[in-house]
Amino acid sequence: MFYFHHITCISPQKTFADIDIENIKPPVENKLLVAEPVYDGIPLGILRRMGKAVRIGVGAALKIAKQNPNGVVIGTANGGMEDCIKFLNQIIEYDEGILTPTNFVQSTTNAVAAQIGLMSVNKGYNCTHVHRGLAFENAMTDVDMLLKENSSHSYLLGGVDEISAYNYNIELLGGWYKKEKIAGVDLYDQNSAGSIAGEGAAMFWASNNEQNAIAKLQAVRMFHSEDENLIADELKKFIEENYLEEESVLFFSGENGDSRLQKYYSASEEIINKDFTVARFKHVTGEYPSVSAMAVWLACYILKEQILPDHFLKYSSSKKDFSKILIYNNYKGIQHSFILISRK
Amino acid sequence: MSRIFVTGMGVISAAGNNVAANRNSLMQGKSGIASAEFLSTKYASILPFGEVKISTQALKEKLKAQDHGITRTSLLALHAFEEAIHNSGLTNAELNSFDTALIGADTVGGMCLTDELYHDANKHEQGSEYISSYDCGSVNMYLQSRFKIKGIINTINTACSSSANAIMYGARLIHHGFAKRSIVGGCDSLAKFTINGFNALHILSDEPCRPFDENRKGLNLGEGAAFLVLEKEEDVANKHVYAELTGYCNSNDAFHPSSLSENGDGPYLAMKGALEIANISADEIDFINAHGTGTENNDEVESKAIIRLFGKPPPFSSTKATTGHTLGAAGAIEAVYSILSIYNGEVYAGINFSNPIPNVGLVPVSKYQKMDLQHVMSNSFGFGGNCSSLIFSKA
Repeated sequence: MFYFHHITCISPQKTFADIDIENIKPPVENKLLVAEPVYDGIPLGILRRMGKAVRIGVGAALKIAKQNPNGVVIGTANGGMEDCIKFLNQIIEYDEGILTPTNFVQSTTNAVAAQIGLMSVNKGYNCTHVHRGLAFENAMTDVDMLLKENSSHSYLLGGVDEISAYNYNIELLGGWYKKEKIAGVDLYDQNSAGSIAGEGAAMFWASNNEQNAIAKLQAVRMFHSEDENLIADELKKFIEENYLEEESVLFFSGENGDSRLQKYYSASEEIINKDFTVARFKHVTGEYPSVSAMAVWLACYILKEQILPDHFLKYSSSKKDFSKILIYNNYKGIQHSFILISRK
Repeated sequence: MSRIFVTGMGVISAAGNNVAANRNSLMQGKSGIASAEFLSTKYASILPFGEVKISTQALKEKLKAQDHGITRTSLLALHAFEEAIHNSGLTNAELNSFDTALIGADTVGGMCLTDELYHDANKHEQGSEYISSYDCGSVNMYLQSRFKIKGIINTINTACSSSANAIMYGARLIHHGFAKRSIVGGCDSLAKFTINGFNALHILSDEPCRPFDENRKGLNLGEGAAFLVLEKEEDVANKHVYAELTGYCNSNDAFHPSSLSENGDGPYLAMKGALEIANISADEIDFINAHGTGTENNDEVESKAIIRLFGKPPPFSSTKATTGHTLGAAGAIEAVYSILSIYNGEVYAGINFSNPIPNVGLVPVSKYQKMDLQHVMSNSFGFGGNCSSLIFSKA
């Protein structure tokens, strides 16, 4: 598919500057909120008007955007949810009276990609994929096609979603967050429904240029199903198609502690080679629709640095050096993706 | 590269509940814009709307869609989707196969239920039945589960150009071998959310909108849905073919979050790029279905961009005075209209027009007429500078 060059990530962890994936910040009241950096590069007047999703999205993207990619492709399920509900609250509380449009304009899901295009004066391709748990996977597929159509181009690719008080409520009422307090890796031992909330923005400079690349996106496969047997069959096919049977691969599992989804992860672990190391990341990222973007960022970082701190590990194989990471993510038991990243 | 043919279409809008009814309204120059019957908003009696003339309950009954949490947006999508797949004759086996993609677009999703969302987002009590239906993705999640679609599924939101990008993405999936056929389109329903948003921006007209008119006062919001079935030339066999999708391009204006630049760089680049993909010159475009929302900003900038690219522009009109601006559905509905124009050799009037905008002087087609068309361009421009153009051609 294509190569990742410059990668950035604003997340609950130290992923933006002074990167440290060893010492992990635990969730507070079952939320992993982003650690926002000082945003140099965004004028204060503009920064003040930005909601969190736009702020972290633009903040993570700006350095890459300044390298003049040929377009901007973002995956986000909700965009600026906080602004959306702020505007909604105005509508109801002022009974559709005189309202200010700022929150409305910021609330459109395409606001992150639009602001990146605007601030970096990028008149190229600009698209926002919003298909929930597969928004970022579709964004990657879009970039793959763009790079096949224009082999010398480069694109800014990213995924971003925020926790706002409002979507937290909605997801909580929907039964997607745990009621008992989670401290970290105990997330996986609860045998109860729900997970912990997360948010973040991960951005990538993508091109066909192998030189100086950090990692390569080898393959993406996405589908909708509630049948764990189908997931297992598809994973088997994916492993065969990508000749992973004999390799020492890190299986990066999107396991999120939700007992209702465990059958998918168990079925997938049955399929993988015993030489695969199994690691998990949701205690680091929390659960959110475009979390696979941060999983890809982590995968690139782990491959580049060849470090995998123990807190990620579920089962370790005897082989310690891996050249490929296979991410399996599952959103709400119906949206599934396999993403294969390799060292160049 | 394989040619991409349109083998099925479905549409529902204020201009009618199916393709034939929409064409009929367009031929007669009949507008669907009126005061709203079903919409609950303070503005229902103050502002005109392009409302689909069926209640949500009647849609549920007609479509046998009494599912828990289903929204009007999903119902409109289902209505147009069913018409499109029946029109194309897609079998269940084809719908369920791994190589059938569904690419939809919307900007409102379940937020048409503005009051329900307000309660669910702010309260800690029992959630409503719509708790999983507010986001844009909810529409295609519903279609996926109802029709057991297994191929690539995506939802795109680039504001008012969303469904043009869904059509483009679906076509590209076929070109790249990620899908054998794509069902592509978009939908949106009227919502307090968008009505108040556009109202706060002072771009809603209190009269039926007048695209490209000197005295235009803004846009009317509408609702609806449209889907197309796209297939490769070698796969269509004996199927009926309506048109070929030959060109598409997405460009960003990179100027302002909610208005277009003076010279319309985004619109210009989108139209120019679509010509390049179609490999035709500007003078080969026989007709433009313009974005033409009826706002001060859009119509003047779009006119300038058209003049910049075409010199002497081909005949054009905007059908937004017929349907209202249907946001995420607009690109797909107007794609259906562009295809109907090519297929039937006819163009539809831009109604409510009297005088051209002084400094650009463009006059849209003022009455229904027969016209032999080889290539038709359809424009969709949105907030965030998201501009896309499509070109449909005689197959």
